[in-house]
Amino acid sequence: MNFDDKIPIYYQIKEYIYRQIITGKLEPGEKIPAVRQLAVDLTVNVNTIQRALSELVTEKMIESKRGRGNFVTEDINKVKELKGKLIMEQLKQMYDSLRKLNVSDQEILDYVSQYINKQERDQK
Amino acid sequence: MTNSIEIKNLNYRKNMKPILSNVNLTIASGKIVGLLGENGAGKTTLMRLIAGVAKGYQGQISVVDESKIAAKKAIVSFSEQLSGFNQNMKIERIVRFYEDVYPDFSEDKYNQMAGFLQINEDQKLSQLSKGMREKLIIGLALSRRAKVYLLDEPFGGIDSMSRKKIINSIIRWKPDNATILISDHYVSEIASVLDEIVIIKDKTVFAQKSTEEIREKFGEGIEEYYEKVYEGTELHD
Repeated sequence: MNFDDKIPIYYQIKEYIYRQIITGKLEPGEKIPAVRQLAVDLTVNVNTIQRALSELVTEKMIESKRGRGNFVTEDINKVKELKGKLIMEQLKQMYDSLRKLNVSDQEILDYVSQYINKQERDQK
Repeated sequence: MTNSIEIKNLNYRKNMKPILSNVNLTIASGKIVGLLGENGAGKTTLMRLIAGVAKGYQGQISVVDESKIAAKKAIVSFSEQLSGFNQNMKIERIVRFYEDVYPDFSEDKYNQMAGFLQINEDQKLSQLSKGMREKLIIGLALSRRAKVYLLDEPFGGIDSMSRKKIINSIIRWKPDNATILISDHYVSEIASVLDEIVIIKDKTVFAQKSTEEIREKFGEGIEEYYEKVYEGTELHD
């Protein structure tokens, strides 16, 4: 994985684990690789991995089981909530930049549905 | 958190010329720290002083609360350039030498690393490529069960695959509470591995900062921050 050196690495690790959870690469209840293993895989410091994981524990996205390691939450609603949050973040970015171009809400809706239709056609 | 390296009011001269002046530095245990500075800034000298190899300084240098030279040597593993060995010597003999000299040398750890780094013990020192030689130096240094590891420019002039493997070994085989100081004049490739950077400039510690803090507070990459500090365009509070 390539990190952006301008953004705190622990933050990018959290984003990485979020994506793994949302896409199902890490399933609910699944064990997360050991701290050292993650550090080796991502070429980062063990302390940075620990910071990212401890924030994920605080957010209850993962659960730390004493002596057994870290596990993805089994609470499906937590995962849905996370997915919703990431979608809203992406939408906000798109919406804000279109509004800056004076595109109206209705135009945004029209263009999004046009775009989706075009994507569907192109894939056929 | 305990400190692994504490330096107070260090002054060091060589042939009447000041090399390091009024150095104060504290490094907490368990960290990986990048020691940055131009060639000739005094990075190697500082490492030699911490390791107890260079003598005749003024001030205080303690490593995990030890300030006596013999005690420091026992807990600090300094990457040796292997220039003292006969270049026709086989690697296996050098490894045996390390086992004899350092009671904390772990053969098991060495074997794991040698396998990973693909070190061939049948070769002679003179037959090693630059990258392979550097891998051996790092492998030997990390095989000691030390409290502090000083790795002097392990990435100078070597290919990127060797560099990646060395970085990987550092993450993999660093004991949890041990501190690693890595000197380099180019930081990009190791930035993601570092907890802190220490910049040596004008014969002293010019700045010491957490890498995550540089990213979080300044929104800057580590290399960019380092260059700005060096050129004097960054306020380094």
